[in-house]
Amino acid sequence: MNIMNFIYAFLLLVFVFLFQTSITGINRKVMARLQRRRGPKWYQQFIDIFKAMSKSSTTHGWIFDFGVIMALGGIMATTILIPIGPFKAFADVDNIFIVSYLLAVGMLGMAMSASGSGNPWASIGVSRALTNMLAYDVPFMVLIVSFIYAFKTSSLSGFAALQQGAGILGWNFFRFPLGGIVALICLQGMLGKKPFDSFIAPAEIASGPMVEYGGRHLGMLFLLHEFSTFIEVSIIVHIFFGGGATPLEFMVKYALLYTFMNIISGVFPRFKIDQAVKFYYKVPLALAFIQGLIIIFTGLGVS
Amino acid sequence: MDFNALILFMVFSAVLSYLVSKSNIKLGAYSTILFSLISLIILFLGRNNIGNEFSLLYMNFRVTAIGWYFSLIMILIYSMTAFFNPYWMEKILYPSSYNFLYLFSLAATVGLFFAADLITLFIFWEVVVWSSTFIVPLGKSRKAAVVYFTISSIGSMATLFAIMFVYSKSGTFDINEAFKFLASEPLTATFVFFTFITAGLTKIGIFPFHIWLPLAHGNAPHTFSPVLSGGLVKMGAFIAYLSVGILPAYKAFSTSMTIMGIPFQIYLLMVLGAISIVVGTLMAIKQDDVKKLIAYSSVANGGYILIGILMMDQVTFAGSLMHIFNHAIASAAAFLTIAAIAHRTKTTKISELGGMIHKMPVSYVVYLISIISLAGIPPMGGFVSKWLIVQGLASKGLIFIAFAAFFGSIGSFLYVFRPLAGLFLGQLAPKYENIKPSTLVMKIPMVILASMSVFFGIFPKYLLETIGEIQTSIGIDPIMINGDTITTINGVLNTNKVAAIFGFGFVISLMIFLVLPKSRKVGLMDTYTSAEFIYTPELYHYANSFYAPFERLYKNHPSVEKFLGKFAVKTEELGILVNSLFFSHKPSVTVLWVMAIATLIFLGGVDI
Repeated sequence: MNIMNFIYAFLLLVFVFLFQTSITGINRKVMARLQRRRGPKWYQQFIDIFKAMSKSSTTHGWIFDFGVIMALGGIMATTILIPIGPFKAFADVDNIFIVSYLLAVGMLGMAMSASGSGNPWASIGVSRALTNMLAYDVPFMVLIVSFIYAFKTSSLSGFAALQQGAGILGWNFFRFPLGGIVALICLQGMLGKKPFDSFIAPAEIASGPMVEYGGRHLGMLFLLHEFSTFIEVSIIVHIFFGGGATPLEFMVKYALLYTFMNIISGVFPRFKIDQAVKFYYKVPLALAFIQGLIIIFTGLGVS
Repeated sequence: MDFNALILFMVFSAVLSYLVSKSNIKLGAYSTILFSLISLIILFLGRNNIGNEFSLLYMNFRVTAIGWYFSLIMILIYSMTAFFNPYWMEKILYPSSYNFLYLFSLAATVGLFFAADLITLFIFWEVVVWSSTFIVPLGKSRKAAVVYFTISSIGSMATLFAIMFVYSKSGTFDINEAFKFLASEPLTATFVFFTFITAGLTKIGIFPFHIWLPLAHGNAPHTFSPVLSGGLVKMGAFIAYLSVGILPAYKAFSTSMTIMGIPFQIYLLMVLGAISIVVGTLMAIKQDDVKKLIAYSSVANGGYILIGILMMDQVTFAGSLMHIFNHAIASAAAFLTIAAIAHRTKTTKISELGGMIHKMPVSYVVYLISIISLAGIPPMGGFVSKWLIVQGLASKGLIFIAFAAFFGSIGSFLYVFRPLAGLFLGQLAPKYENIKPSTLVMKIPMVILASMSVFFGIFPKYLLETIGEIQTSIGIDPIMINGDTITTINGVLNTNKVAAIFGFGFVISLMIFLVLPKSRKVGLMDTYTSAEFIYTPELYHYANSFYAPFERLYKNHPSVEKFLGKFAVKTEELGILVNSLFFSHKPSVTVLWVMAIATLIFLGGVDI
């Protein structure tokens, strides 16, 4: 760990911001075409972020500010842990548990800031967000435990390296199809896309956690959203789609997977929060257990 | 200093504190701080005593590494909580007895951890149970003490039975010697294992014995709840350790059926631990009283500790021992912040509070750090221990236990956030507009405990090296730690690096925040209200049934309390029936019996 690591980390953050924001912009276009609209320009997302950041805003006390700083800080720290193809800013920190728990710092910071605004709608939104988290994370983690047992590694790059060299059929998504389905369903929940988007409720922003934000707070939360999207999709690309032997390969896989999730989101209605919990604890959890037992007791697909 | 002198000093200081309290209550309360701090220093400096044996009045002691570690945690929690004692002296019915029992139970726990024979162990166990039983009703409820004592008695009696049984077979009470013969007798070992560990299970609050925790923790005096949750619960973990570590459980059960390499007897208890995690989490999510909420979270964390201890391996056991420490300091600190708030507001109900952050910022920060540690989020200590436990479970492929571990881990975000949002954040009720922040003396222990959570999260080696020595001393591989890098079969964790990265991210985020245009400060009521005019802050605060949609999913859950309640009603009904049949003065009953006997005589054809 020396100064170069931190410079790489900074460059990685800048790169992820440019890359993910462009992809989001393109996806807004894709979504528009799906709904037979013209759609905004591909760089509209940049305009939105910088515009929000340049506007004046109001604050509801120190915790309202501190929460936003802690949230963005936590999420950016988590982004630094993610390898892009073979490139890593720091060695030996891409452990899946470190990533998923450090991600929680960001979530907690945002929740704190939202509740700190004093607006009950924000608190209600946070309660939905945390409930949603309890739904999607547990099946995914059960799956990950069986993977760790089988592959004797828990680092993202370790998972990716084990899948490379055997072509597309070497990807865990095809070797463990049940697990792959679970992972994609859970990814949809992590991203907060339909049918699991009731916690942020983008269409009814006034009754979600974001109700009180404007100006620089909102701009920073836009940034946070881009980074957390990157983390969540990257985890799945590394564990189920073989990561990338080169950064470019990783970026292509990433862009395709994200667009695919977005298109799915485009055609779904929304679950209520308790329906989402029930769904996750019925279908994906059962599939995750079946896949886990197959891996642990038969070793099917492992070697 | 020798530890026989330490134990004598602690017993003596309890008596002294009682006498001082009789003349001056405040001074007596301060003496509990002084005496417990002195004991802490003596114990900490007396680490070279490990391995010594000594006797006091027919009681035999042996200073072991693990006993020293447990005693250190216990005295630390007691001495930190003692700082709150002076503020509760007027509210407690018998203050001098409280001070006496406080220090006396502390002395007994240290005696328990250093016990060399089973009788000494049992005597000190009972002393702790009795003295804490008398402290609990000094708070709000007498029923809580009854439940606490009943459940504790179930455990104590089972353990006493196991002790006597082992003595009748082996002829010795010495802990190390008595259990040795069990290695070759699986059936007897199973029997002794389950009876001996029962005391531990009741104390940790493992399902179905968890019902005493919310009652006792919730109703004990605010100054004693941190000790109950942070300290006394950990005695159960020590008994659990004796049951698998000293009692050669893995050796004795080597011929029995195994599940994923774990003997089924041990796996059964791990399942109970997993159930405790799930039950504790679900119940904590729906509590409105913060003290009960943290009590249920202790149930859940007790599950983690039990699972880790039962594994008796390199990684999970180390994680569990570290979690004992982390949970002790974090849950004690959380209880202390609640006590500090209750000291000013006279309530611990989330729905009656709100916006406390604007009045008690230090309590808020301490609470935040503690719950981050409890939930296992980096860079706090709780993260390292949960990481170790989860890594250990994953390496063995125990997915059902791991499911509970993850459910408890993510569920803890839900329940720790509830007081955060409802009690500290949100609207400040006008009636609390003029309350003062907590006093300086109260802030000392809170800040110390919170900084320890952070310190051992970034530099866990100071803790894990001690734990490694414990592991070596009981004959298992020590946890691999090199500098601040922890290595397991499946992965590495460098806490320094993670903390540095987190700090880096935070600094960049702070810089972005600072360069952007300044924002204007507005009040808490100056928010979006859907065009309603609202002038009552209390009504504009979301704290009641925080997770309503989720709570609705399991509102009709079965519960041990309901089952026991029904059982009690049925027993009472049976009693009433028996009473009315045999002990009634009513003529109709007499006639009934005369008829019945007459019928019997006629049917049997007895000659009169």
